[in-house]
Amino acid sequence: MTFSSKLLRATALASLMLAAAVAGAQARDVNISVWAGGTGPNDTYRVDAIEIAADLLQRQAAIAGDDLKITVTKKVYNGWDDFKPAVTLAAQAGNSPNIIVTGHEDIAPWAQAGLIVPIENYVDLDSWPLSDVYPNLMEIASYGGVVYGIPQDAESRPFFFWKPHMKAIGYSDDDIAALPERVQKGEYTLKNVLEDAKKMQDKGLVQPGYGFYPRASNGPDFWMFYTSMGGTMEENGKLVFDKAAMQRVYQFFADAVSTGVTKKNHIGLPGDQWWHEVSTGQAGIWDAGTWHYARMVNQEGLTDFFGNILFTLAPAGDGGKANTLTHPLVYVLGAGHTDEDAQIAAQLVAIATEPRINALHAIKSSHLGVDQSEGKIPFYAADRWASEATSALLPYANAMPNNADFGKYWDIMWKNLEASWTGTKTPEQAANDAESDLKSTLGDAIVIR
Amino acid sequence: MTVTPTSPADAGAGVVQPALGSRTRRLLYGSRTLAWLLLLPGLVMVVLFFLAPVVLTAAFSFTNMSTATGVSGGVYQVAPSSISRLKTALPDLADELSQPRYVIDQAGLDALGQTSVPKPLLDELAAKHMGEVFDNRRDAERMIKTLGGRPSTAVVKQISEAFNRSIVNARFSSKTALFEAIDGLGIKATPEQKETIADNTWTGWVWTTGNFERMFASKDALRTMLNTVFYVAMVLIIFNTAYAMFLAIATHYMPDRTSGFFRSLWLLPRITPPVIYVLMWKWVAWDNGFLSMLLAPFGVAPRNWLLDTGTNAWVFVILINGVVGASMGMLVFASALKAIPQSQFWASEVDGASRWQQIVHILLPQLRWPILFITCYQTLSLLASYDYILLATNGGPGGSTEVWSLAAYHTALFNYAGNLDYGYGAAMALVLVIIGITLALLYLRVFNYRALVSRPIIEH
Repeated sequence: MTFSSKLLRATALASLMLAAAVAGAQARDVNISVWAGGTGPNDTYRVDAIEIAADLLQRQAAIAGDDLKITVTKKVYNGWDDFKPAVTLAAQAGNSPNIIVTGHEDIAPWAQAGLIVPIENYVDLDSWPLSDVYPNLMEIASYGGVVYGIPQDAESRPFFFWKPHMKAIGYSDDDIAALPERVQKGEYTLKNVLEDAKKMQDKGLVQPGYGFYPRASNGPDFWMFYTSMGGTMEENGKLVFDKAAMQRVYQFFADAVSTGVTKKNHIGLPGDQWWHEVSTGQAGIWDAGTWHYARMVNQEGLTDFFGNILFTLAPAGDGGKANTLTHPLVYVLGAGHTDEDAQIAAQLVAIATEPRINALHAIKSSHLGVDQSEGKIPFYAADRWASEATSALLPYANAMPNNADFGKYWDIMWKNLEASWTGTKTPEQAANDAESDLKSTLGDAIVIR
Repeated sequence: MTVTPTSPADAGAGVVQPALGSRTRRLLYGSRTLAWLLLLPGLVMVVLFFLAPVVLTAAFSFTNMSTATGVSGGVYQVAPSSISRLKTALPDLADELSQPRYVIDQAGLDALGQTSVPKPLLDELAAKHMGEVFDNRRDAERMIKTLGGRPSTAVVKQISEAFNRSIVNARFSSKTALFEAIDGLGIKATPEQKETIADNTWTGWVWTTGNFERMFASKDALRTMLNTVFYVAMVLIIFNTAYAMFLAIATHYMPDRTSGFFRSLWLLPRITPPVIYVLMWKWVAWDNGFLSMLLAPFGVAPRNWLLDTGTNAWVFVILINGVVGASMGMLVFASALKAIPQSQFWASEVDGASRWQQIVHILLPQLRWPILFITCYQTLSLLASYDYILLATNGGPGGSTEVWSLAAYHTALFNYAGNLDYGYGAAMALVLVIIGITLALLYLRVFNYRALVSRPIIEH
């Protein structure tokens, strides 16, 4: 055999092998879009996690000989006002993103409309890491016994107290340390909150209207007060309006205004102003989310958080119990995509739920982890806020119901809360109006007590 | 070139016409057709951007359309909300329908036999688990995963689906499919009961007059309507007409350069982007803003002037909208004033008329048409505009500055729980359209529009 014929045969063989390799490893290009609402600069791991997951899945596929190329397109919305119409209108027009990061309460209406598909159709819920997700969070991501979403983060909404002001009105260090337990047992109530707020103002520690300085815009926090007053949001799949409890909530805010510890025009306060004030000791007591820790420490320059701030559950009111509300965001799958794309999107969500990746978001944004084993990751365990807040708050957390009609209920509840807060209606009028509005809007879909 | 006259008129005129077909010529040279052709783009616009939205709004307003019902239709689904409704209508059947069940039976095995699921797996399933019943999908799938060779997630889902013997959460695109599924479950239901099931499991929208009943029963809707009347009347009377007229007349008597300067000044708010414009007002009104700072030396405690009380909010809402709105009236009135022949002013001055007499007897009578235009246009524009209010107070405090169009926006395009209420929002918008058209017709009558557009006597 001559050299040239050897070369010829070698070249032919190499070409054949190359052709076989090309034919065997068919490149698959998949585009996955992920949209997230309520996502500020501290929360970008909500979408970045999907990108990390895509990288891992590609590597995994490459080992199995599959040339998978995933392009992740990310879109984040800072607030919710623009995000929800954008997602729903896009989905109705057939342009739904593959993965949506949204509040769990969207699952019911969006599932009914067929805008999202159950993630349980594509993943094995018994396999790790999904089997490691807190069962109560998984429950919150389900609707009608079907798992639609995978929890993306958890949080809760504690009450915050500015410690130096508490000391100035007579609390000793021991009293302060014992307060969380007293709140939990129902010994320290919402009534005490108003009294202490008043004392702080009377002593000139805070300006009038800054004693009790709650969230200044509509949000899930206000349902926490309803639970504090003994209200129930849903029972056996049906919404419940407990008129007396709701009136007590309206009365509480009206009282806060009439005693001067909360401003009548508090709602609509510029967010930046509110942040700055609660982080610099200008307010006495307020309710906010656990994730606010990140903003206070990172953006507002509060260096000694634990030295200045005490956190507790939301205290009980008349007829209710101390509680907190968790409002997990969830990954859901948009409808209208091929089964193959949905399968890949679901796998990306599963990978993004792995404790290490989820911990990146939890710590950066001061949310709580969704996986039970997240606490074993040193990076997560070393974070004092994440570990303390998780154990102190999550066991007492309620969530809003996944019910397609809850949005209408919420609108009516909020409109009348705002009206009684600003003095446009008396608490009684507001409760009556809410009742008649709920009757004419929801009819049989709500139980009125 | 030979030109064949097509009509006696053409022949008589002796004009050489291009060789066009008679049809095309009639189309192009007939003035009536040409008029329609010229109007066509405008008509298409009116149909697309006015009539179609109004017709759609009217249609939507008689539905319960929301995000949950979708816009394009729906399916039949035994979901939690429908089970809750069925429990009231058909308690016994509701219980039967709401049972999720997975039954390992021959039918399922036969169906799977036709697929690519490995036969040994099916044999094992038949041998070990035939006849077993599972309450939910997860338990069924846990059992499937114990089978030899641990099937992949996709195969597990495929197998469990073949044994799904319930209709809970399944989506049926037609009534027939739903009824077949009910029959398939062995549930005995009369045709009437089936219809009730269909009605209660339909996820799409239905026709209803409920939106209007809800609107008329709502005290908040009444309050919003009164707010709207107050807002439109105040901005319209104080700023868009009276103040605009004042500006036009004041600048009319100024030298050209000075009047130009003042008019440009008043145009600034109009050309400033609304977000920035409102932000500047907020800087003035916030409790650490300009107004509070200015009043602090006089012992006035700082407060959020914009949202302190309903009255405060109204003052700002009217000012914010009025300062923007005055410029348009000013321009229209000023140009109308320019059109009045100078000779009339000279003549009146010769007669010894004062400025006031000139205004009352010369200016105002000749400004009837511009006043009608501004009143009509600005009423409709104020009724429909909510952008500045949204940015400034968002309807607050406590709904005091919530106007109808803002409320319609809040209803149809904003919901914290992701369920936008299109039907009720459309009903609110329809009310606005009806009010707008009624007011426009009323204005035309009050200002005697017919006389305004009649042929001038001088040309007869």
